[in-house]
Amino acid sequence: MAAGAAMFGPGQGRESSGTPLPDQVDRIVSLAPNITEILFAIGLGDEIAGVTLDSDYPPDAAEKPKVGTFWQPDIEAVVAARPDLVITLGFEQQKNLAERLRRIGYNGLTVNIEKVSDLFSAIERIGAATGRQLQANELISRIRTKLKQLASLVGAGPKVRVLWVVQREPLRVAGRDTFVNEMIELAGGENAIGQTMHKYPPIGSEQVIACNADVIIESAMGREDIENQRDRALQHWGKFKYLPAVTNRRIYVISGDTVSRLGPRLYEGTETIAGCLRPHLFEN
Amino acid sequence: MKQLLTPKKLIARIGLGLAVLATVMFVCSLIGTETVSLKAVFTGLGTKAAPNPDYEIMGFRLSRIILAGLVGAALACAGVVFQVLLRNPLADPYILGISSGAGLGAIIAVISGFNWTLWGRSPIAVFAFAGALGTVWLVWFIGRLTGKFHVTGLLLAGVVVNAFFSAMMMFLTSIAKSDQVYATIFWLMGNMMEGDFLVLWIGAGCIVGGIAALFFISPQLNALSFGADDARSMGVNVARTRTIAFGIAAGITAVAVSLSGLIGFVGLVVPHGVRLVFGPDHRQLILLSGITGAIFLVIADTLSRIIVAPAQLPVGVVTAIVGGPFFLILLVKYSKKVSWLK
Amino acid sequence: MSGIIEVDNLSFGYTSETAILKDMSFNVSPGTFVAIAGPNGAGKSTLLNLMCRALTPKSGTIRIDTAAIESYDTRALAAKVAVVRQELVPIFGFSVMETVLMARTPYYGSTGFESRADREIANDALEATDTARFACRPLTSLSSGERQRVFIARALAQNSLIMLLDEPTNFLDLKHQVGIYDLLKTAQVEKGKTIVAVTHDINLASQYCDEILLLGADGSYHIGETKAVLSPEKIKEVFNVDVFVGKVGQEKFFIPLGKLAKNSRKTNS
Repeated sequence: MAAGAAMFGPGQGRESSGTPLPDQVDRIVSLAPNITEILFAIGLGDEIAGVTLDSDYPPDAAEKPKVGTFWQPDIEAVVAARPDLVITLGFEQQKNLAERLRRIGYNGLTVNIEKVSDLFSAIERIGAATGRQLQANELISRIRTKLKQLASLVGAGPKVRVLWVVQREPLRVAGRDTFVNEMIELAGGENAIGQTMHKYPPIGSEQVIACNADVIIESAMGREDIENQRDRALQHWGKFKYLPAVTNRRIYVISGDTVSRLGPRLYEGTETIAGCLRPHLFEN
Repeated sequence: MKQLLTPKKLIARIGLGLAVLATVMFVCSLIGTETVSLKAVFTGLGTKAAPNPDYEIMGFRLSRIILAGLVGAALACAGVVFQVLLRNPLADPYILGISSGAGLGAIIAVISGFNWTLWGRSPIAVFAFAGALGTVWLVWFIGRLTGKFHVTGLLLAGVVVNAFFSAMMMFLTSIAKSDQVYATIFWLMGNMMEGDFLVLWIGAGCIVGGIAALFFISPQLNALSFGADDARSMGVNVARTRTIAFGIAAGITAVAVSLSGLIGFVGLVVPHGVRLVFGPDHRQLILLSGITGAIFLVIADTLSRIIVAPAQLPVGVVTAIVGGPFFLILLVKYSKKVSWLK
Repeated sequence: MSGIIEVDNLSFGYTSETAILKDMSFNVSPGTFVAIAGPNGAGKSTLLNLMCRALTPKSGTIRIDTAAIESYDTRALAAKVAVVRQELVPIFGFSVMETVLMARTPYYGSTGFESRADREIANDALEATDTARFACRPLTSLSSGERQRVFIARALAQNSLIMLLDEPTNFLDLKHQVGIYDLLKTAQVEKGKTIVAVTHDINLASQYCDEILLLGADGSYHIGETKAVLSPEKIKEVFNVDVFVGKVGQEKFFIPLGKLAKNSRKTNS
C-alpha cells in the first residue's frame, strides 16, 4: 500500500498529510458545485483540475474534467486528475472519500457550508490553503458590503412573512434552521412557519392558513417557462382564498442555483428574494 | 346460538360502528394546531374584507379527515381480502408488489419532471396509481403462468416482481438529484394530502363502491377460506369470486396509495383485530374492518397533525406506533379464540 | 341402464404423455354405496376429482343425474354432488355451526344470509353426525375424528344426491372408522344418498359397501358387487399382495400377508 502510494501518489518533496504548502497548489479538485464557484471567484479557475458533474457555474466550469457527482464522487477520476488539493464538504459520503484519499497520500481540505457564517469561513480557509488570502478577503468583504447595502435599502420596517415551498405534494417548506431562511432574513423577511425540529418540515393546509404568509416562494421545477409555472402556482394556491399572499398575488417562482446553493452568489440570491418581498424597491 | 351472525346483528353492529366513526370524525375536526370555534364556522365563508379563517380551516380539516377515513377503510378491506384469497394471515394489501410498483411510479414521475396537474393532484399520484395497478396485473399474469391461480405461484411472483421493481427504484434513486430523492421519499412515507373535491368524490365512489361489492361476495369468501376445492364443491364459482375480489382489492389499494402514499400497518392489523373480536365471518368482517380502519386512520392522522406541530409526522409512523401496542393488548385478551396461534 | 353417475370411455392423464385412467366405462346406480380401492397412484383421488369436476377428462364423458357434467353451473352441480376431502384445517376460526352452514351458501337468498330452513337442515346434519354438542366451538379445537364428522355433516347439509369422500377414515382410530362408515350407511339407507368413498380398507368396504371399484395401477379396473369382485385372485392382481381369506357369517374378510408375516404362506409351506 505504502509503496503504491509512493509510486502513484503525489511527487516527492510534498507533505503527505495535512494541508500542503499554499504556493505549491497547482491542481485542485472540487467535489461540490459551491466549492467550484468559490474557487473561480478567488481567481483559481486555471488551477482547477476536476469538478463534479453538477458544477455548472461559472460556464467555464463545464469545460473542466469531471470526477463523478456530488453524491457519488468517482475516486478514480479524482486520482487521475493528480490533484495537489482535494476540497470536500463535510457530509458522510464525502468525508469517507476524503479519508480514503488522505490514506493514499492526497491532501484534502474539508469545509462545511451549511450556514452563511460557514460560507465566509470556508472562503477564508480555501484562501489560506491556496495562498489567495487577499482575493478571499476581498470576496468576503464584497459580499458583506453588498448585503449591508441591501439591508439599509430594505430598511428596518416590518418583516415580510414568507412561506418558502420546497415540495407541493406532500406540502413541505423550508424551516427556520436552513440557509434559505437566513437569506430570507437578510432580504428583510421572516419565515411564516415557526420553529420546527425538521429542517424542511411537511405541513398541512391548516398551517398555511394560520401562518398568514404575505409572500409564497417556490423553487422552479423542470425546464418549463417560469411564467407558466407562476400561473400554475397562482392557480394551485388559489384554494387558500384569503391568504394575503394569494389575495395580493404575491406568489413567485424562483429559478436558479443562486437560492438553492450556498455560495459566492449569496448576494445575488438574496437580492432576488428581496425583489420578491419588496418589488417596489427594485423597479428600475 | 349466540355466535351466529344474523342480519339484525349485522345491521346493529354496522350502525354502531358508523356512529362511532361519525363521532370520532367530529371530535377530530375540532382538534388541530389552531383553535376553531364551531359558531364561527357556521357564519360562512366570509368576504374579502372580513375573511373567516375558521370556516376555511374547518373545510381543510374535514376534507382531510374524510380522506383519512376513505384510505383507512380501503386498506383494511383490501387486507381482509388478500388474507382470505392467499389463505395467509400475514398478507397485507402490499404483498403482491403494489408498494414497489407505486414507489417506482412515484420516482419516475419525480425524475421525469412532469409538471402538469390533474384535478389538483400532481403527476406522482397518477404515476403511483398506474404503477400499483400495473404491478398487480403483472403479478397476476405471471402467477397464472404457474397454473390457474396457484396461491404459492402468486406469492412467488409477487416476491420476484417486488425485488425487480425495488431494484429499479434503487437504481433511479441513485442517479436522481438529492432533492428529487427527498421528494419521492416523503411522498411515499404516507401523508394525507388534501386535493380538489372532485378527487375526493371520485376516490369515495371507488372505495365505497368497492367495499359494497366485496360485501356482496362475502358469503363466497367465507367458503373460500376453506380452500378452492372445498369452496367449489360447495357451489361457489371460485374463479369468478377470486377475480372479482382480487380486482377490487387491488383497485381500492391503488386508489388509496395514489391518494396518500404508502401507509402500512392498517391493512395487516385491522383485519386481525376485528377478527379477534367479532370472528371470521366475512359478511361482517369486511364492513367492520372498513369502519375500524377508517376510525384508526382518522385518529392516527389527527395525532400526526399535532404531535410535532407546526410540522407533521408521516401518518405511517403514527399508525405503527399507535397500532402496535393496541394490537398486542387485543391479542393477549382474545388469544383463547385464535386457533392458529396454538 | 342409466345410473346417477355414468362414466363413458373416460381417459385422463396429468400430462399429455401419461394416462392414469384409460377408457373407463361404468355406472353407479342411485342409492348405492360404492367403494373405490386400489394401490397408490392408481388414480382413485383423480377419479373422484373428475366426478366432481375439479378436473376435466382428456376424453370421454361423465354424466351426473342424466345430464353431462359440463352442463351444470357451479351451484347446480353443488346440489347434486357434495365432496368430503382429506382433512383440511382452515386458518380462520370458524365454529362448527358456521362451517356446516356454509354448505347452504348456494341456497342463500339475495340477503346473503341463511334462512330458518337452512339452519334446521344444518342442525339435522349436526344431529346425524353426533356433533351437535360442538356447535359453538371453533373447528380447530376438535379432534381429527370429530372434525371429520363435521365435514361429513357439512356434506349432508348440502342436501346433494351424491356424496363423494376421499379416504374419510384416514388417520382415524378404530372406533371412529366404524363410526364414520355407520354414518355413511345411515345416510344411504335413510336418505337415499349415493355414496362413493375412496378407501384403503377393503374390509370396511366389504362390510358396508354394495359395490366396489378396484383400480389397478396400469389403468385396469373391475367393478361390481363387493362379494363378487373381492377375491384373493383379484386382490393379488390389483394390489400385488397375498391375502388370507376368512369368513364372518356370509361376509368374507381379507388379511394381507407379507413375506415375514406370521401366517405367511411362504414361511408355512
